[in-house]
Amino acid sequence: MTGSRSKSIVIWAFVVTALLMLSAPTIVVLGASFTAGNIITFPPEGLSLKWYGAIAQASDLRQAFFRSLIVATICTLISIPVGTLAGIALSKYRVRFARTIQIYLLLPFTIPLIGSGIGMMLVFGEMGALGKLWPVGIATCVINLPFMIWAVTASASNLSPDLELAAANCGAPPLQRFLYITLPAVLPGIITGSLLMFILALNEFLVSLLLVDARSVTLPVQIYNSIRSIITPDLAAISVVFIACAGVAIALLDRLVGLDIFLKSK
Amino acid sequence: MGIVSTDLHKAGAIAVSVKDVGMVFGDVHAVRSASFDLPKGKFLTILGPSGSGKTTLLRMIAGFDNPTSGEIFINGQPVSAVPPHRRAIGMVFQKLALFPHMTAAENVAFPLKMRRHDARTIGEKVERYLELVRLGGYGGRRINELSGGQQQRVAIARALVFEPDLLLLDEPLAALDRKLREEMQLEFRRIQKELGVTTINVTHDQREALVVSDEVIVMDGGEIQQKAQPVHTYRSPANAFVANFIGVTNFIDGKVSAISGSTVSVESNGQLLSGVTAADGAPLVPGTACSGAVRAEQIRIASARAGLEGLETIVEGQVADSIFEGERIVYEVTVPVLGGAILRVFNHDPVSHLQFGPGENVRLGWNAKDMHVFKK
Ligand SMILES: Nc1ncnc2c1ncn2[C@@H]1O[C@H](COP(=O)(O)OP(=O)(O)O)[C@@H](O)[C@H]1O
Ligand SMILES: [Mg+2]
Repeated sequence: MTGSRSKSIVIWAFVVTALLMLSAPTIVVLGASFTAGNIITFPPEGLSLKWYGAIAQASDLRQAFFRSLIVATICTLISIPVGTLAGIALSKYRVRFARTIQIYLLLPFTIPLIGSGIGMMLVFGEMGALGKLWPVGIATCVINLPFMIWAVTASASNLSPDLELAAANCGAPPLQRFLYITLPAVLPGIITGSLLMFILALNEFLVSLLLVDARSVTLPVQIYNSIRSIITPDLAAISVVFIACAGVAIALLDRLVGLDIFLKSK
Repeated sequence: MGIVSTDLHKAGAIAVSVKDVGMVFGDVHAVRSASFDLPKGKFLTILGPSGSGKTTLLRMIAGFDNPTSGEIFINGQPVSAVPPHRRAIGMVFQKLALFPHMTAAENVAFPLKMRRHDARTIGEKVERYLELVRLGGYGGRRINELSGGQQQRVAIARALVFEPDLLLLDEPLAALDRKLREEMQLEFRRIQKELGVTTINVTHDQREALVVSDEVIVMDGGEIQQKAQPVHTYRSPANAFVANFIGVTNFIDGKVSAISGSTVSVESNGQLLSGVTAADGAPLVPGTACSGAVRAEQIRIASARAGLEGLETIVEGQVADSIFEGERIVYEVTVPVLGGAILRVFNHDPVSHLQFGPGENVRLGWNAKDMHVFKK
């Protein structure tokens, strides 16, 4: 009795500590963004929204933010068809080299981003496309695509092969089977993957840094550039905007498909 | 001209014709040279143990797999080049395979939508078929809001709503509890009679096969063992496998000692059992090693000869065990004159309250012709 009680106290202590450590940076940056002073501090000196006003006025930040949105949109739009088809193919058919492909899906966790970033810099440099936004969109798509495929495969593996046979038996030709049966079944995975891809592309720093020039900086790069000069509370404010974007994505996800897809998927 | 029209007429009477169909997966012969004809409007059950090739055969008829040999004809036309969505076959899957993101009505409407019926026809037909399976008013429910039996009915309605030439049932009742299963068996029978749709049902439940079918095919090891009406299958099994698979059957090993027509004498452990029936098509000559099969319910048990008047074969034995099953008692009786064979006997006489205990000496008797002899 007491044994299980003290055990649960220990577990709770761990959980609370972990939550504190995970949320501390967010709380700090959130607090710092509301400061009335001119330097970034925590706890903030007084409360004001003036730094939010400042970032709304700062055209370079705003433009960088829009560029990041464009990059994230390009990345998501490419990843939806590619990731969906690849995910379905991987889970449905005995694909040749399936093991090799699975290893590729692990690569983003094993190959340093700087490696793939430099590779892509060379490719796009060769094409003379450095400094444009679409290469950044493609690059973020390439490095993050495994997440999309993973999300689609997770929901496609719930799809029983009998369902498509049943649809065929009901008179549905292959395209209709795909549209009416397969696609709706993997839709939660597609939504999850898309939001994930969007957020990852929005936040992507290292690869963007290698592919952009002064005219095409994305928001994370812009923030990085600003940090190197003077650190002002507007950076905290813009970080909060970032966090808000991610929050919106998670709220959307919860509304559309429920968050249990993350909890259940392996 | 005349010949052509009789040919057409003949083709019209047979809904499904399976000719020498085989299916090989790697080195597994899932189905070997299966052949049968199924007349229109009949209810055929394919009965066999798990792994006997029933699903494989059904999937080839539905068009999901093509046979590695032989050909299947539907309404007289060879179908190996016809993809499943053009076959006009309704199927109820073992795991139902209802579309989880659609309501019951949307599931039933799906085949009509794929056939581009107009919205009004679809609405009317969906309602009519939901009524037919007694689910009127449940159309708006999501699949996971329906009970197992109700889901079953949705699957039936979806398979029938487009008036297919043929209905295939792949053990859809296997997962239900016994009471519901027996209810649904009768339901299948009722609907099939009402619509007159040609049906092939697959099961490993012998009772279901006997209760619902016009014809029964017994399969084992990918081969058809027997095709006959249920009563015939039960009373005149074609071989020892069928005799053993359906019903509770006792086998007594021996040797053929004499044959005249379909009547055989069998010698077992020095005992002569005469007047025994040769199973259909069993090639027997004197000296053939054989086994005689007699059903548990065709053996009568009594404490003395008195209870066994008129029975030709009578042996003495000792009760090894008695099992109470409610409406009947099953006795296991050791018979020393048959080499210590243990015979199972049903006693369905709840009126006399007669009961034998283990160790008791009893006599068993049966009609000689109720024993069927198979080649070993
Ligand atoms: N796709 C397949 N690949 C390999 N072997 C298979 C396949 N489908 C069925 N089999 C084999 O064929 C045999 C018959 O299977 P099946 O038709 O499913 O039997 P049943 O439905 O009577 O239980 C089994 O031995 C099974 O293992
Ligand atoms: Mg099966």
